Amino acid sequence: MSNIVEARALTKTYGSLKALDGINLTIPTGAISGLIGPNGAGKTTALKALIGLCDVEGELNVAGMDPRAARHKLMEDVCFIADVGILPKWFKVSQLIDYVEGVHPKFDRIKTGEFLSTTDIPANKRIKELSKGMVTQLHLALVMAIDVKLLVLDEPTLGLDIIYRKEFYDRLLNDYYDGDRTIVISTHQVEEIEALLTHLNFINNGEIVLSAMMTDLADIYTEVVVDPEQIAQADALNPIHIRELLGKKSYTFESVPKAQLQPLGEIYTPSVADLFVAKMKDSRHE
Amino acid sequence: MNKFHLLQFHALLQREILEHRNMFIMAPAILAGLILLFSVWAMTRMGQDTVSISIEYMALLFDGLSPLEMAPMFMIPAIPFIGIFYFCAIIYLMNSLYQDRQELSILFWQSMPVSNLNTVLSKLVTIGMVAPLFYIATMFALYVIALFWLAILGWSYDIEVAGLGYMFLAAVVSLIFVYLSIVTTALWLLPTIGWVVLFSAFAKRTPILWAIGVFILVGFLEEFIFGTQFLGNFVQSRSTPTQYLILDFQDVVERLINYDMLFGIMVGSILLAGAVYMRRFID
Repeated sequence: MSNIVEARALTKTYGSLKALDGINLTIPTGAISGLIGPNGAGKTTALKALIGLCDVEGELNVAGMDPRAARHKLMEDVCFIADVGILPKWFKVSQLIDYVEGVHPKFDRIKTGEFLSTTDIPANKRIKELSKGMVTQLHLALVMAIDVKLLVLDEPTLGLDIIYRKEFYDRLLNDYYDGDRTIVISTHQVEEIEALLTHLNFINNGEIVLSAMMTDLADIYTEVVVDPEQIAQADALNPIHIRELLGKKSYTFESVPKAQLQPLGEIYTPSVADLFVAKMKDSRHE
Repeated sequence: MNKFHLLQFHALLQREILEHRNMFIMAPAILAGLILLFSVWAMTRMGQDTVSISIEYMALLFDGLSPLEMAPMFMIPAIPFIGIFYFCAIIYLMNSLYQDRQELSILFWQSMPVSNLNTVLSKLVTIGMVAPLFYIATMFALYVIALFWLAILGWSYDIEVAGLGYMFLAAVVSLIFVYLSIVTTALWLLPTIGWVVLFSAFAKRTPILWAIGVFILVGFLEEFIFGTQFLGNFVQSRSTPTQYLILDFQDVVERLINYDMLFGIMVGSILLAGAVYMRRFID
C-alpha cells in the first residue's frame, strides 16, 4: 500500500511555542486516519501543513506534491473542511455551488444536487441564514461531489448537536468512502470517530505520541485490572497509565506480552478514549 | 491558458462582483436614483419659460460640435459617479486580502485549486476593468433616461430639440472616455494599488493604518538617512489631475506608452508580487 502523506521532521514554531516538534506522520492511501489530540496539541497546524496553508520546516509529500510549493495544484486532489464557520456567509447556496463548479475541475454539480435534495437546505438562502448543521451539510455536499484522493477534516463537527454529528459521519462513511480515497480526521472527541478509523495518531504538545493501525492496538496495548496482591509486579512492568476503577487499580501497558500480564488480573483491550487519556498523561511525564 | 482556466478566472470575477455588489451595483444605482429624483424635483420648480430657455441654450451650446467634441461636457455628470467609485475602490483594495483572513473564510477559498496569483489578479481586474463597467452601465441608463426626458419635454412644450442623435453619440463617447480614464488611472496608480494590496495581505488588523503609517515612516527615514525625497517626489509627480483624464482617444496612447507609466507598472508589479507571496500561508 502506498502512502498518500509522508511527513518527516515537521517543525513549526510560533515565537517560543513549538506547535509541531519534528513530527513524523505517514498515512497510507485508502486509510481513514484519525489525528487525535487535546486542544492546542498541534492538530490544526499539522493539517494546515498538509494542505500548504502553513509554512513548516521538514520534508512533506502529499499526493506526490510538496504542499508548500504547489498548494493550488494539490487542491485539485485534496479537499478540506475546517469547521462550520468557514463558508463565506454572503454567498447564496446556489451561488456557492456555481463558484465551486467554476473553479474546481473535478466537481460534479449533479452529485451535490442529489445530496442537497435529501436535506432542508434551500438553494436561494444565504449561508448566514442557515443553521450550523445546515452549513456543515452544505460543505459536505460540496466535498462529496469532488472526486479527490484525500479529504482532510479538521474538527468538522465542532459545535453541532449529536444528530448532525452522527449524520455527518454516517454519510461520510456510506456515501463517500470507497476504500480508495483517504480521509484524515482531526478531533478531540475520540469516541465519535473511533468506529470509523483504520489508523490512529495521537498528538500532544506538537509531538506524535502514538501512531498505529486500529487492528494492531489490541496487540500493542493491554489494560489490566490488577489484583491487589499483584500490584508490585504490575508496577515493575512500567505501565504507561494507572487509574482507579471501582476501588481497584487499572494499569495500561504498552508492548508487554499478554502472557506476562495474564497472571496480574483481568485483562482487556483499552478503548481508544482510555488509551488517549493514558497516552496524554504518559506524554506529559516524559 | 486553456478553456478551464478562463472559466475559472470568470468564476473568480463573478465572486468579486457578487461579494461587493453593494459597492459595484447598488452604489451607482442609488446615486443615479438620487440624481433622477433631484432632477424631477428641480423641474417641478421651473416654469415653462425656464425650461424652453434651457433647452434652447443647450442647443446653442452644442451647435456645430461633433459628438467627439461634445463628449468632454457629457463627462461632467460622471464626476459624482467617479468620486463614489474611487471611494469604493479604496475600501475594496484595503479589504481585498484582509477581510477573508479576518472572518476565516480564507480557509474555504484556499481549499479550492485557485492560485494566489490568480486570486490577486482577479481582484485587480475587478477593480480596474470590471467594476467600472457597472458604473458606466448605470450612467448610460441615466443618460438614456435624460435624453428621452428631453425629447418628451420638447414635444410637450412644442420646442424643437435639435441634435438628440448627436447628444446620444456624445454621451456614449463620454462614457468610453470615463472608462478609459479609470483603466489608465488604475495602471498609473499601480504602485499605490500594489502598496495597499500588500498591506491588505500582511496586516493582522487595520491595513489602512499600516499602509499610511509605513509610507510616512519610510519617507521620513529616507529623508533622515539619505537626505533625499524620492518617495515624496514620486507621489507628487503623479498628482496632476490631467494625468487621470482621457478626453481624446489620442490621450490613451500617450498615457500608456511612456517611461513614467512603465516604471510605475514595474514598481506596482513588484509590490503585488509581494502581496501574492504574503498570501501563501495563512498563519
